[in-house]
Amino acid sequence: MMEKNSSITKFQLFFILLESQIGVGLLSLPNVVQKTAHGDGWISTLIAGGAVQCMLVVYWQLLKRFPTLIYTEITQKILGRFLGRLFNLFIYMNFILVGSLATILFIKIINLWLLPFTPDWIISLLILAACVYLTVSDLTMIARFYVLVSFLILLLLLTSLLNWFSPKEFQYILPIGSSGFKNILIGSKNSLLAMLGFEGLLLIFPFIIQNKKGVLKTISLANIFITLFYTYFIFLTLISFSPDQVAQMREPILNLLRGITYKMVDRVDLIFLSIWIVPMSTSVIAYLFFASKSMNVEKKTFPKVVLLNGFIIFLITLIPHDDAIITLFNNYVSYLSYLVVFIIPTLLLILSFLFNKHESSEST
Amino acid sequence: MRKILIIILFITLNILTGCWDQQLLVNRTLVNGISVDITEEGKIKSAIRVLNIQSNGGGQFEIQDELVESAGQTSVGLGIELDSKITGEIDASKAHVVIIGEELAKKGIHPFIEFFYRDMDSYMSSKIVISKGKAKEILSMEKDKSPIAFVILQLLNGAEADTVIPKETTFSVWREILDPGKDMVLPYLNRVEGNKIQAAGVALFHNDQYTGTTLSKEKSSLLLSLMNQLEKTNKMALMLEPEGNGRSISFDTINLSRNLEVLVDKDDKIICKIDVKMNVEVGSYPQDFKKGLNIKKLNKDLSDELTKQAKEITNTLLQANCDALGIGRRISSFHPELWKKIDWEDEYKNVHFEPTVKVNIIKTGNVF
Repeated sequence: MMEKNSSITKFQLFFILLESQIGVGLLSLPNVVQKTAHGDGWISTLIAGGAVQCMLVVYWQLLKRFPTLIYTEITQKILGRFLGRLFNLFIYMNFILVGSLATILFIKIINLWLLPFTPDWIISLLILAACVYLTVSDLTMIARFYVLVSFLILLLLLTSLLNWFSPKEFQYILPIGSSGFKNILIGSKNSLLAMLGFEGLLLIFPFIIQNKKGVLKTISLANIFITLFYTYFIFLTLISFSPDQVAQMREPILNLLRGITYKMVDRVDLIFLSIWIVPMSTSVIAYLFFASKSMNVEKKTFPKVVLLNGFIIFLITLIPHDDAIITLFNNYVSYLSYLVVFIIPTLLLILSFLFNKHESSEST
Repeated sequence: MRKILIIILFITLNILTGCWDQQLLVNRTLVNGISVDITEEGKIKSAIRVLNIQSNGGGQFEIQDELVESAGQTSVGLGIELDSKITGEIDASKAHVVIIGEELAKKGIHPFIEFFYRDMDSYMSSKIVISKGKAKEILSMEKDKSPIAFVILQLLNGAEADTVIPKETTFSVWREILDPGKDMVLPYLNRVEGNKIQAAGVALFHNDQYTGTTLSKEKSSLLLSLMNQLEKTNKMALMLEPEGNGRSISFDTINLSRNLEVLVDKDDKIICKIDVKMNVEVGSYPQDFKKGLNIKKLNKDLSDELTKQAKEITNTLLQANCDALGIGRRISSFHPELWKKIDWEDEYKNVHFEPTVKVNIIKTGNVF
């Protein structure tokens, strides 16, 4: 299991989670959350972060029992061959479909803002070709790349500081809690797509080379960083735009930068989006990798599987990019995600407790 | 195998070379100023100043400035109509000023800026201004000494720096139109004798509609102070009335602090207290030239006079139903129950304003 070129350190794990989670979802997140939570959208992401933290603890408990197995091997170990395979199919489909959704949204944004006349399939081909190329090189290479490009996230934070010079209205978020607890919770639920990616931990845990004690600390730190990062951006959006305006915007984060103008530099939003292509790709890479890993294949056939999955995602991205179809797709994918990210791991943990299963116990 | 790889590489290269999204400058016609008006028959009439770039070869370009007009029943489609009238593709990515005629502004300005924020290419930092009379009168001026849009832009930038007009762009107007708790004020331009344009003050808006009321240049400076806005300088000149001997003084605000308090009493009556403190520098005070300045007395006279004017301004705001100070937003934030109960459209008129301006002279220039 422990091949040399597929092991990572805890430091790299932090960035893998960061880069898998932060991506295309952020750009439209304020709009999605604001739909129900209105001025309290920033509370929604904090709650979502809390929910993710709970799940991470569940993952940790589960993985501690099976330190050298990945998600799809654990299912087979606990549920048996047949049921395990069925669940693995769901897991695989989840990764492929979330990956496809991320790619479709990625293409849509590029098409809308940067390249309106370039055919979608060309953009899709270029993105996926690059992603497949990196994914084939396996986990260590991906991890190194993620660490390298993480400074772009810092760059985004710095760019957002420019926005503080334009007028701000803190009263837009007042009175705090006015949208009601239920609406805030629905807002948290809707921010799920932007938060997804942490479930990758289930597939990369065995490849961490150092001792596994501090892993929970690392993943918690990553989660706290991402939650605060999202909350900051939602907060910034909510005080920059009037509520009805956020409701109108597709990508509020880009609009934050659109009004900024200097003598030398104009349209900061387009410059920013060109840089943001990298974090958006890293999410796609992550899902492509998770999907390929979840197929439990031999090391030798891994590149072929990646290529195949890349092709499947490419085919899925060819579906028409109407708002209605995407929304429908998004809904179905999020149901699948609830199952794979929240329900199955919890179920596995409960079962492993009940039957007192460990890695060493005999397979059924 | 190797040969196949090379062939694949060549095919891929062919795909990459196609630039679907290249837009050559020579094929574009850059719009730098836009005006919209309403005609007597109720048609929308738009005029644009465009820069037509023609390549003479060898990296040389010839630039021509043109005025193109078109008219239609609604604002939608005016852009397409204009595009068909000019050579090359219309490009509003550098439209610096959008001038809207006052008659049209009374009907609402949203239809004319909606296009700018929906379109990905357009410029969000265009200045939106209201013109006295027809907007085209201003845009069509000085035809030879073009482009006029830049002259207007400079004028607006200057007036903004002097805190005569607020800083308003497409981007900020978009936000303010959609904010139910605050109304905006937009720069008001006037064509004066000698073929010149003047920033005449501000036009008061309610939602996206011009109320028909304007504030003069002197008053708009004070209004912006009440709104807690101070750019580089804010120069004001005043006649101090009490003695009737026409003492006059000009001064420059150095810094400004404003405290706005919205109180609701038992009968749900809304009282708004605005306290403005200004530290000023005397620019000119040619009276009593044998004695020095009596700073204490001047402070009091100035404060009294400005407080009186501030009261006039708030009355004008109430009459025009323009909530420029954002009282509605305060109420929705701090008194949410009251906000749900009242209809702000009607209730705003009943707000009681208590403005006080306190002036403190801290500099007197080269002499005492």
